[in-house]
Amino acid sequence: MNEKKEILKGMRPVNLGLFFEKEKILAIADLHLGYEEMLNAQGVFLPRTNFEKIRKALDEMLKELPKLDIIVILGDLKHEFGFISQQEWKEVIEMLQFLQKHCKKIVLIKGNHDKILGPLVKWEGLKIEEEFYITKAGVLFLHGDKISASDNFQKAKTIVIGHEHPAVSLREGIKSEMFKCFLKGKFKGKNLVILPSLDLVSTGTNILREKLLSPFLKQDLGNFECWLVEDKAYYFGRLTELRYKNILTR
Amino acid sequence: MIEFETEPATDKEIFDSLNPLLSNWFKQTFGSFTEPQKYAIMNIHSLKNTLITAPTGTGKTLSAFTAILNELISLSEYGQLEDRVYCIYCSPLRALSNDIEKNLKEPLEEITEIAKKQGKKINIRVAVRTGDTPASERAKMLKKPPHLLILTPETLAIILNSPKFIEHLKGTKWVIIDEIHSLAENKRGVHLSLSLERLQALNPDICRIGLSATISPLEEVAKFLAGMENEKEERDCKIVNVQFTKGLDLKVLSPLPDLINTTAEQVSEKLYEKLDELIQAHKTTLVFTNTRSATERVVNHLKEKFPGKYEGQIGAHHSSVSREKRLSIEDRLKKGELKAVVCSTSLELGIDIGYIDLVVLLGSPKSIARALQRIGRSGHHLHDTIKGRIIVLDRDDLVECSVLLKNAIEQRLDKISVPKNCLDVLAQQIYGIAIADKIHERDLFNLVRKSYCYHSLSKADFNEVISYLSGEYTSLETRHVYAKIWYDKETGMIGRRGKFARVIYMTNIGTIPDEAHIKVKIGNHTIGNIDENFLERMKKGDVFVLGGENFEFKFSRGMTVQVKAAEYRPPTIPTWSSEMLPLSFDLANEMQKFRYLMEEKLKAGMKRKEAMEFLQKYLYCDANAAEAIFNYFSEQYRYSKIPHEKRMVIEQVKEGDENSIIFHSLYGRRVNDALSRAFAWALSKTVHTDVMVSVNDNGFVLTTNKKMPIENAFTVLEKNDLKGVLEKAIGDSEVLKRRFRHCATRSLMILRNYKGREKSVGKQQMSARLLLSAVRGIDDNFSILKEAKREVMEDLMDIESAKKVIAMVNSGKIKVEKLQLETPSPFAFGIYAMGRMDLMKMESRLEFIKRMHEKVLSKIG
Repeated sequence: MNEKKEILKGMRPVNLGLFFEKEKILAIADLHLGYEEMLNAQGVFLPRTNFEKIRKALDEMLKELPKLDIIVILGDLKHEFGFISQQEWKEVIEMLQFLQKHCKKIVLIKGNHDKILGPLVKWEGLKIEEEFYITKAGVLFLHGDKISASDNFQKAKTIVIGHEHPAVSLREGIKSEMFKCFLKGKFKGKNLVILPSLDLVSTGTNILREKLLSPFLKQDLGNFECWLVEDKAYYFGRLTELRYKNILTR
Repeated sequence: MIEFETEPATDKEIFDSLNPLLSNWFKQTFGSFTEPQKYAIMNIHSLKNTLITAPTGTGKTLSAFTAILNELISLSEYGQLEDRVYCIYCSPLRALSNDIEKNLKEPLEEITEIAKKQGKKINIRVAVRTGDTPASERAKMLKKPPHLLILTPETLAIILNSPKFIEHLKGTKWVIIDEIHSLAENKRGVHLSLSLERLQALNPDICRIGLSATISPLEEVAKFLAGMENEKEERDCKIVNVQFTKGLDLKVLSPLPDLINTTAEQVSEKLYEKLDELIQAHKTTLVFTNTRSATERVVNHLKEKFPGKYEGQIGAHHSSVSREKRLSIEDRLKKGELKAVVCSTSLELGIDIGYIDLVVLLGSPKSIARALQRIGRSGHHLHDTIKGRIIVLDRDDLVECSVLLKNAIEQRLDKISVPKNCLDVLAQQIYGIAIADKIHERDLFNLVRKSYCYHSLSKADFNEVISYLSGEYTSLETRHVYAKIWYDKETGMIGRRGKFARVIYMTNIGTIPDEAHIKVKIGNHTIGNIDENFLERMKKGDVFVLGGENFEFKFSRGMTVQVKAAEYRPPTIPTWSSEMLPLSFDLANEMQKFRYLMEEKLKAGMKRKEAMEFLQKYLYCDANAAEAIFNYFSEQYRYSKIPHEKRMVIEQVKEGDENSIIFHSLYGRRVNDALSRAFAWALSKTVHTDVMVSVNDNGFVLTTNKKMPIENAFTVLEKNDLKGVLEKAIGDSEVLKRRFRHCATRSLMILRNYKGREKSVGKQQMSARLLLSAVRGIDDNFSILKEAKREVMEDLMDIESAKKVIAMVNSGKIKVEKLQLETPSPFAFGIYAMGRMDLMKMESRLEFIKRMHEKVLSKIG
């Protein structure tokens, strides 16, 4: 088996984003802007760095890519539930303006953290979608917190979601490091691709140890394949290899 | 000037100085004064700072209170007693506070009664204020303040920030710090030292009195108590040091003569037989086990092995036991209703626990002072003999405890050190000071430097803390969120900022970090606790030991771990607990001397019979112990070389791909923590690979899969400053991450209590990790990060002593001898078997993922 540069045909990871060659689409997920402000409100005085880090990461990604048609944001653009905080207002707008410069159209999918994003993006002339479907390729983009009942869902061959913030720990002896990752598996006979979070404050959910949230992932993930991301994505085969056989430990 | 009081007053002098009511009561109750009272009372009478150290049962408490009661009684008698606090009594233990209240109230009631008969009216109020005191009580105190206020260091900080109550503290004449030995060497004491300076700023002539258990060096504790007069000189302080040579009956017991060719079960079997035998032969026994988990284990085993004997007769006492349960055990102990109490370390401090005729230590107490403190809990009366037994479990423990006991009997104490310039505690206190009133930064700096803990604080570090508190680590536009104090650079004035500052301060005060205990469960049944660090090492399927049994890790959720019993599978990860006490450097040096002595004797051809006699006499141990020690040393002598004060033995062992270097550096874990990380860093630099590290009190092991040129590491350490090397070495360590959380909560970067919500330790830890990486991105010298590094290097590790060791190696005073061995020598078994505890990462994340990636591709390709 050679190294898999593509997750599915015409679909390859670029850093923490997923690029669709033919359609010139870049999908990104779970930016969680405003995360620090939420922590501040809980009495944790974390300086604000997420926005800057994400923008730099996007700069790097965009450098590698041709001019984009569409940028799909797979939900949870912002963090705070319920109300729009000052930091979010400012950062969300700046982020959308930045992305608009690099594509023809932004598609924003509603996440579970985006309850009242509406007024915010109306201002930018954008629409919030529950889901987004590319008919020709049969790819459906969803946030991933709930399973869709739409027609497109029935038709789709491939589902692309975020929401879970997948990461795995690589272990060797007593050494252990966490890496964010892409996952690919099956859901009801369809291809399922899960994106890592672009939020650069937290490290993600260790899917080898923790209990998972998404209804799409309430299944044995042993046959799911993973791509771990550091400077770029590295193919690490099936999760079962990382989980049970311990091929990485001496 | 700090000076020892050498002139005792006579009974007559003291009686003459006292109000007749008090002197008559004293005469009737005691007849005369005890030694500590003769040395202390007149000093306190003339308001001199006084540090009193004397054994329990010598009237220590009254030596502090007599002069104070005298003045209060006189004032009361003549109707001149005002409604304010005259004396503050501060105790590190809430339980102790209640104890003292009882002990003070009794004499006061008796004296009031005597006065009443003479037609005089005495009315002196005593009250306790701790975190548990209800609001109604506190309100009462505000209206009618007690003349004598009993509190904890934390409540002292709180009342100093209470705008109304502080009025009652203007005119306070005395402050007593009880159990000062348990405060002088940690951040709680550092925090208190600043509160004392705030109190002294209100009352420049206040008299400070410290009560201490046996401790060394007393001069250092006196400085801590008194604080600084000016930049160079400490305030005057008298030291009253009264040591009685109480009869000491101390012994080290080995359950078996042979501790090596026996199974753990055999040792354990004999241990419990011995323990039962000791408990049954005495009226009341107090057992110390060092850790919470061991405490539970011992109690359960005694109940199981000797059915019927211990039901309702034994209690477990440690910090995880609920408060009510602990109080009930203390109470039953006092009443003599229990045959034995098993505790971790929790009964070390001075609450009156009644009649104990035997103290048993299971395993080494790791310091001579601590051993004396614990054993001193027996024979509470002045002339009782103190009886203590240490039962050891392995040969290293045996040698350690024997040398320890020799030093205890010969009264050579290990030295404590007072933490200096802690920036997190400073930040918290400055926040409090700023809330109370506006202050100029210059005056603030001078106030802080009066504490002995900060007398060498640099202006630069002080400025860094002010900069942190005024939010300068964040961008201007968001600074309003981060700034904790109001600071006007132009005028240099500092003050309160924000409506909620006071509430935040009051609910987040203190220095003791929340400990993260992960609950281990099978279904809903709790098995015990493990350390959060330990959890981080575990993955599904790992088997570990808890409470003597094996369990398999299933999964973790929040702060609980689900496991299943794994009786027949050997552990896959070594047990490790941060609860373990480190061996003191001084005791380690005594052991090194003993090793040297033993080598000399073996060289001179000492025979078994001669050795048995010598050891029993020299170390005051039993025959079993002497035989085991002799065997241990002669095996080492024959197989390898005996490491000692003049020789550091380094053994190189190859096993499979792994190369291990074993350093016989018997300097205690605090020193070895520093040395091992520094060596590992130096080595990983030269061979460019990760180095695994294991450390204990007797030495450390470095392991890699490459050949290690150890000489290079020595050269690196010779050429570089140890502090610089160590700072780099701990930069990415787990221990720094953990300590950073503690420092971040102390400095209020993370509020444990905010808007009526309490943060779990897990949440604190997660926040701390995010904070640490953000702060690093800003400035590697950020004050709170700097403090975390200092705490790791100076308080957790002992960099100063580590420097001494390296200097001795460089100067040739310690000769390094390298040996290549097939298997580790007998002295190395303990360290070698311990498992890997830490990793010095040299490989970057990128290198790591690339290497792993290639490995995976070749496997699946």
